[in-house]
Amino acid sequence: MKMEDMSLSGLDNTKLEALAQDIYSDLVEDACLGLCFEVHRAVKQGYFFLDDTDQESMKDFEIVDQPGVDIFGQVYNQWKNKECVCPNCNRSIAASRFAPHLEKCLGMGRNSSRIANRRIASSNNMNNKSESDQEDNDDVNDNDWSYGSEKKAKKRKSDKVFLHSLKQHIPLNPNSPRRSKSVKHKNGELSNSVNADPYKYNYNTGINYETLGPDELRSLLTTQCGVISEHTKKMCTRSQRCPQHTDEQRRAVRVFLLGPSASSLPDADTMVESDCYDASDGQVLMSRLQWDGSSDISPSDSASSKASTNNSDSKKPKKKKKTSLGLNSTGGGGGGSGSGGGSSSQTSLVGLSNRKKKPKLPVPPAPSIYDNLN
Amino acid sequence: KTDQLYGHYCSCLFWLNHRLKELLRAKLTECGWRDQLKAHCKDVIKEKGLEHVTVEDLVVEITPKGRVLVPDSVKKELLQRIRAFLAQHAT
Repeated sequence: MKMEDMSLSGLDNTKLEALAQDIYSDLVEDACLGLCFEVHRAVKQGYFFLDDTDQESMKDFEIVDQPGVDIFGQVYNQWKNKECVCPNCNRSIAASRFAPHLEKCLGMGRNSSRIANRRIASSNNMNNKSESDQEDNDDVNDNDWSYGSEKKAKKRKSDKVFLHSLKQHIPLNPNSPRRSKSVKHKNGELSNSVNADPYKYNYNTGINYETLGPDELRSLLTTQCGVISEHTKKMCTRSQRCPQHTDEQRRAVRVFLLGPSASSLPDADTMVESDCYDASDGQVLMSRLQWDGSSDISPSDSASSKASTNNSDSKKPKKKKKTSLGLNSTGGGGGGSGSGGGSSSQTSLVGLSNRKKKPKLPVPPAPSIYDNLN
Repeated sequence: KTDQLYGHYCSCLFWLNHRLKELLRAKLTECGWRDQLKAHCKDVIKEKGLEHVTVEDLVVEITPKGRVLVPDSVKKELLQRIRAFLAQHAT
């Protein structure tokens, strides 16, 4: 292209079109030439015919076009009816089912361990005749009244340790229907406080308090009843409000297990620490707190903060932020209906919940609304 | 003004030589034009003899056939691009 040609503004359409055609044909010719040079070089260098096959092989690998057969000449479901002998159980299995069967047979697949455990658990349950969910055998709650479950639980501990280590990766949702269903069987009451436990506590540690360290004991006792049964020497795994045991018993257990300094009933903490705290439970909660609050907490701000610090000494609270928020909202709702004692323990509750975030912060001004009730 | 034109020229050349050529080559390979012509080359070579074939032989045989064998779609698209390019640079 000459430099004068570059000023295209002077050209009209026909010339532009002619120019375009010229450019196009130049390009195509360029491509052809390129191909020629390539081929010529290949011929002279001797590799032009290299990718060809000889006639004989061409005939061998010709595309097959018969019915019932694919293009390679293979029959489609030739091995469907063949049977293989399993090396493990020596049964003859259909070929298409062989791989899944081997998975289950050797116990190496993804589901095989789960199914095996389920089978073990259900056979155990049928032996025991104890009440437990047939579906949720993984999280069976062993009550301290089933004698047979003591041995089974210890065995199952090893079985389920790895299963639970798997399960711990899953965020525990206390609201999942599985968990609430299994616990409703047992307690029928504040089921969620039991479910707040990590999985393994449900049946493992409900058995034997001797095997637990002080930290585990403490965290257990804040959520479970924990009263040690006389005949089985096991801790009750029910909630803090389980009807079998009185609060005095619970207090005694705590003194026994954690020492006299931990004698304050962690009921308030329990309420605080349960993951799921509906507004509907607020009423129930208030009535409980009335009973507790009158003994522990005096109806004034300074005293309530003292009570909260008392509790903080004895326990290592497991708290999630969700809980404190839930409490604050229910505190507002429940406090209105509570009486004098209720309101004061309410203040302690709110104080506690705030204490988790900033220990030195005094009780928030919300309780001041309820002071006139006193 | 000569500087401007020169710059213009260079950019046009660049576009033509690199972008458009590459585009055309890719399209021709895609549509099988290249393989067709190569098969034709084989015939020519067998005809002329493997040892004695020259570039000229090939060029003479291949180029006219190559021009004809370009599919219409490719031709249209290329012309379109060229026209667009010219229109763009007709300042």
